[in-house]
Amino acid sequence: MRLDQQQQTRRFYDLVWPHRADVLRVARFLSRDPIMADDLAQECMLKAFRGLDKIVAGPGIKAWLLQILRNTWLDRLRASAARPVETSLGDLSDEPATEVSVDTAGTGVWGDPRAVLEAFSDQQVIDAVQGLPEEIRWTLLLVDVEGLSLQETAGVLDVPAGTIKSRSHRGRRMLREKLLPLARELRLVPSETKERSSRMEEI
Amino acid sequence: MNSEIPNRDESVESVDRAISARLSKLRSMPVDLTNLEKAIKAQILPPTNQSRWRALALRPLRAIAASVVLVSAIAAAILLSASSGPVLAEAAQMAQVHREIVSGKIPVTQVSSINAANHMLDQEAPGAPSLPQLPDSHVMACCMKSVHNKKMACVLLKDEGVSVTLAVASAADMKLPTAPVQSRNGVEYRVQHIGDLSMVMTERNGKWLCLIGPMPADRLMDMAAQLQF
Repeated sequence: MRLDQQQQTRRFYDLVWPHRADVLRVARFLSRDPIMADDLAQECMLKAFRGLDKIVAGPGIKAWLLQILRNTWLDRLRASAARPVETSLGDLSDEPATEVSVDTAGTGVWGDPRAVLEAFSDQQVIDAVQGLPEEIRWTLLLVDVEGLSLQETAGVLDVPAGTIKSRSHRGRRMLREKLLPLARELRLVPSETKERSSRMEEI
Repeated sequence: MNSEIPNRDESVESVDRAISARLSKLRSMPVDLTNLEKAIKAQILPPTNQSRWRALALRPLRAIAASVVLVSAIAAAILLSASSGPVLAEAAQMAQVHREIVSGKIPVTQVSSINAANHMLDQEAPGAPSLPQLPDSHVMACCMKSVHNKKMACVLLKDEGVSVTLAVASAADMKLPTAPVQSRNGVEYRVQHIGDLSMVMTERNGKWLCLIGPMPADRLMDMAAQLQF
């Protein structure tokens, strides 16, 4: 379908414009530099404008935009020859999600996990997410933050849905491990020594 | 020993669910869209601004019209501020309030529920109109504003990532504008548009309500329908 300029503009403001906050938010999670995030989101929106004749209106627009954002982000990483500082996914095997239950992040100490997590500021949670490996971070951003389905996320990241499921589990475990020391520091959960001594008492 | 395994799994599941829920809350974090919107609009003119030649041709007429509007607005403002009866919150004025809240130009207090917003507003301005109940996941920040010396409680909401301002005042203090009326579930809304913003105003339970956001007016009316008094 070939659109004239006016149709394309109207389509842009009808379909793409309502998702600008989603695009910018994900860009801000990817880049710690707000100017770079604005620039990334802008490039993504302009690419979407140029590609409007390739899509049909529907619920998949947000996933399509986030896919453009991801490709733009990867292009920039490649262009700057800057590899993400985090661990490469190649070093992490896609083990089945069920194995995650053997965890080391002392889930028992969390008490009421919702209350503990609510006590963290948004920025503390964002900092923890930003410290995750690239693909894990993308998975949590799309599944948990943006609320995309496993299928939609799989489409954006170009991997099978099963991989998304295991990455989500692994990502949440990693986040748990990252946040636990902070929770201890803020005295939201018992300290390691207290936890150990209470275990000893139980024995 | 075996009985510990399901407990541990359960506990892992519960922490994972809590992490997922905490992450989903980040979706309602306000993002300052000012620079992005400005940059995009500079490259892709919104549909209403497409015919630049016509705009150029109409420029002198528009200037005169704008002057007339400005003079009328000033006169109206003087008249209204001098009176103690209900006042009219103009669409442009409300759009400005919304933009300033979203861009952070107006100091706001971050809140996570309507109860917290009402508590804060009551402390700031005792006797201020209270906000109706809304799902807490929508609530982001609140502040108190005045329109022609009439108090108005404002709360910044998020609807699928889009910022919406809800303003509430006493119905005795505010007038509804002369604007097209749309009915939804027996409630009449005055619907206005300014730039990319839609605005719906109505009166319910002795309160004047205004919802403003960059979305179709229908969606704003749906949000208004969720308010509980």
